[in-house]
Amino acid sequence: MSDPKCIVFVVDDDPLVRDSVSDLLDSAGFAVQTFGSAKEFAQSKRPDLPACLILDVELPGLSGLDLQAELASSGVEMPVIFLTGHADIPMTVRAMKGGAVEFLTKPFRKQELLDAVQEALRRDSEGRLQRSETSELKKRLGTLTPREYQVLALVVTGLLNKQIAGELGTTELTIKVHRGRVMRKMCAGSLADLVRMTEKLKISSLTGRSTKVE
Amino acid sequence: MSEPSTPQDDVAVEASIPEGAAPLESILCTEELRRRPSRPPDYEKESRALVALATALADSKSNILQTLAETIRDVTDCDSSGLSLLTKGDGGKRFYWPAIVGMWQPHVGGGTPRNFGPCGDVLDRDCTLLFRHFEQRYPYLMPVTPSAEECLLVPFYVRGKAVGTIWAIMHTDRRKFDAEDERSMNALGQFASLAYQTLDSIDDLKIQIAARETAEAALRERATGLEAKFRRLVDANVMGVFTWNLDGKIVEVNETFLDMVRLSREDVTSAGMRWTDLTPAEWRARDELAVADLKATGTVQPYHKEYFRKDGTRVPVLVGAALFEKGGNEGVAFTLDLSEQKNAEEAFRRFEQQARSIVDSALDAVVAMDADGIITGWNKQAEQIFGWTRSEAVGRRMSETIIPLKFRALHERGLQHFFRTGEGPVLNKRIEITALRRDGAEFPVELTITPLESGGSWTFSSFVRDISERKRAEQKLRESELNLHNTQAELAHMARVMTMGELTASIAHEVNQPLAAIIASGDSCTAWLLNEPPNLDKARAAASRMIQAATQASEIVQRLRALFKKTTSMTAAVDLNAVIDDTISLVRHETHKNNILLRTELDPGIPLVKGDRVQLQQVILNLAMNGIESVAGLDAEHKLLMIRSTLSSPGELLVSVEDNGLGIDAEHEDRLFAPFFTTKPQGIGMGLPICRSIVEAHGGRLWAAKNQPRGAVFHFILPIPARNE
Repeated sequence: MSDPKCIVFVVDDDPLVRDSVSDLLDSAGFAVQTFGSAKEFAQSKRPDLPACLILDVELPGLSGLDLQAELASSGVEMPVIFLTGHADIPMTVRAMKGGAVEFLTKPFRKQELLDAVQEALRRDSEGRLQRSETSELKKRLGTLTPREYQVLALVVTGLLNKQIAGELGTTELTIKVHRGRVMRKMCAGSLADLVRMTEKLKISSLTGRSTKVE
Repeated sequence: MSEPSTPQDDVAVEASIPEGAAPLESILCTEELRRRPSRPPDYEKESRALVALATALADSKSNILQTLAETIRDVTDCDSSGLSLLTKGDGGKRFYWPAIVGMWQPHVGGGTPRNFGPCGDVLDRDCTLLFRHFEQRYPYLMPVTPSAEECLLVPFYVRGKAVGTIWAIMHTDRRKFDAEDERSMNALGQFASLAYQTLDSIDDLKIQIAARETAEAALRERATGLEAKFRRLVDANVMGVFTWNLDGKIVEVNETFLDMVRLSREDVTSAGMRWTDLTPAEWRARDELAVADLKATGTVQPYHKEYFRKDGTRVPVLVGAALFEKGGNEGVAFTLDLSEQKNAEEAFRRFEQQARSIVDSALDAVVAMDADGIITGWNKQAEQIFGWTRSEAVGRRMSETIIPLKFRALHERGLQHFFRTGEGPVLNKRIEITALRRDGAEFPVELTITPLESGGSWTFSSFVRDISERKRAEQKLRESELNLHNTQAELAHMARVMTMGELTASIAHEVNQPLAAIIASGDSCTAWLLNEPPNLDKARAAASRMIQAATQASEIVQRLRALFKKTTSMTAAVDLNAVIDDTISLVRHETHKNNILLRTELDPGIPLVKGDRVQLQQVILNLAMNGIESVAGLDAEHKLLMIRSTLSSPGELLVSVEDNGLGIDAEHEDRLFAPFFTTKPQGIGMGLPICRSIVEAHGGRLWAAKNQPRGAVFHFILPIPARNE
């Protein structure tokens, strides 16, 4: 399959299982890449496409759950579908808490797997989109001066210019100027736009940051 | 009469008449004598001669021969006269001349041969002979001078038997002998004979008297000696002695006899005790026989009997007796106290009996054999176990009696080897062998053979024990051991099932893995076939994977089933490394789950061991699970379970399962392998005891130790079978 729009990674130490899963996905029209161990996957160069990971829980060395945690901590947000020979509750809880799309026990049904893969890829595409929007906003946010950042944080909470001026100990006119610059720098057409943007950027952290500044 | 002296003058004694000697008749002139004119008898002269002889006889016996010679000369008026007597010492081979008067007087002591001389001729013809120059026939007389012109000889008789001659010689022809000379010579000869006979009788009598005196003296001496000896014997109290008479009276008795029968002298003598009273009734008949012997021969050969003691008990004695005089009434009895001897005999007999009864009551058959292989001893037990009685067995060949046919040649060879070398590989030790019963049945025995040299020849004592029972017991023991073994196997199975219960997750994983592959591949296979056009290559590959996975699944199920199955122990060659690998696949899930690092260091060169694969896997599994549990609860960075296999020594294989967990509490160390000891809430405390019993059943050892820097390590060793096994 040339030039795939998305890809499925399969990590399983059992070659038979690995090949079977891979072949099943292949027959369903997915592009698949397989790995024998978590380490092998972690060290691989993967194409920048919407992707998902089918991960065996019981891997020698670094286990599936460990790999999940490691990927998350290193900022790789790839949807994970767990496969296990035997699932117990603590294992399942840990996997789902870690953001797993699905937790399938072997032997699994074909449709379950394919559905899970579809869902995972959808999530990844969405995620990727979200991730690209957020990074644009973050870039814009990065152009603000500290004073402008402070003004932004207070504006989205719904305060009037006069109130913000009082809060920051300056004049209403100065706030008005800062506010205009923020709107321009953030490319926000309206206050509502600005508010949605700050939500995406997790405004709470901004609040915390303002606290920290003081 | 004293013994005549032997002739000192041993003059030319011719054994026979020499050539050219004159014939006897030519020198005899006896007929002429009778024809010669005879002078008248001179009776006066004759009686004077007889008186002289009688006087000599009364005076001295030694003179009688001399007197006789003199009277002959007086009566015959001859030149020489004398007498010749046959020698006594040599049985009369010669005549000697005890008395001569006249011219031949110097020749006293000479003599002539019996069979070759004038005297012999006289005795041969038993009559008076007159010789003229007898030296013409008998040359040995030539030197006897002066020569005899004529010699008149008459026989000399003693008790009617000629013992010699008396003779008168004329050396010249001054006068010639006549018939009167012959008559007077005969008369004198007769008288001399009588005189000599009387003398001889007196002498004989004297000798007889002397002999009798000597004999009597000797007898007296002997009698006194005997009596003294007898007395000493009586008094020495060496033996019991009493004298008695045939009427039954005891006359005299010595101390020893009194002691023997514990009677006082008064008891015996004053009460007039009879020796028959001392004899128990059953010995009286024997006594009567003895009395009969006494009467017939005067003595009784010693015989055994008993006497009553005063207290009524009996004393065994040896008694002999003799009459003082044959045909008499009194005698002596000698008795020897045999109590000691009897006691000793009794003790010996008892000992022998005891020994015999020990031998007989011995559990072992005791069989003795001589150097020729013949049975010489056979106790009761031997009768019982072999079926031959003692009398049947003794004298038979040992090998043909109790040794099975197939061992006989070996037995004979062994015996020969022993005689040659003095060595035998089966001697003086306990061996197990097969023996033969009389009915032909063969049975196992334990045998000890002891050779014994005595009197230059060998005997062999064999102690034989029928061990059929023991063998049966051993068989039973083996069976019960087998039962125990089976019980152990069941217990092991139980423990295994419980362990497997803890491993459900791992087992599920193991089984589900291939199932997942099968189903997934089945799906993909279907998909490839439904493709437009169907992708047959991929479908085929998927089908192949399905087969592969299904095979794997089947193997796994089979392996697991073995662990669940209730099996009796099966011994086979086992590759412990493979067993460890199998075990790891079972526990891997547990180690993953608990974030435990599971490592193995397996020596690829270890040889196979002999054992039960399932049980050995159970041991490793159990130890691994224990290790996992001991580290699982820790909040540690590096939780480790390590399994090693190595060749610890040339004959042993070592497996170690170590963890770095909590280790073993010191207070639990002692009870670690005790049944029903457990520190786990869900445990039944049978895991380690069962592991240990499995390892020991394989001839190995299982033990625990501290791991460094922390944790526990369990080791077990298994023997490596020799190559040829």
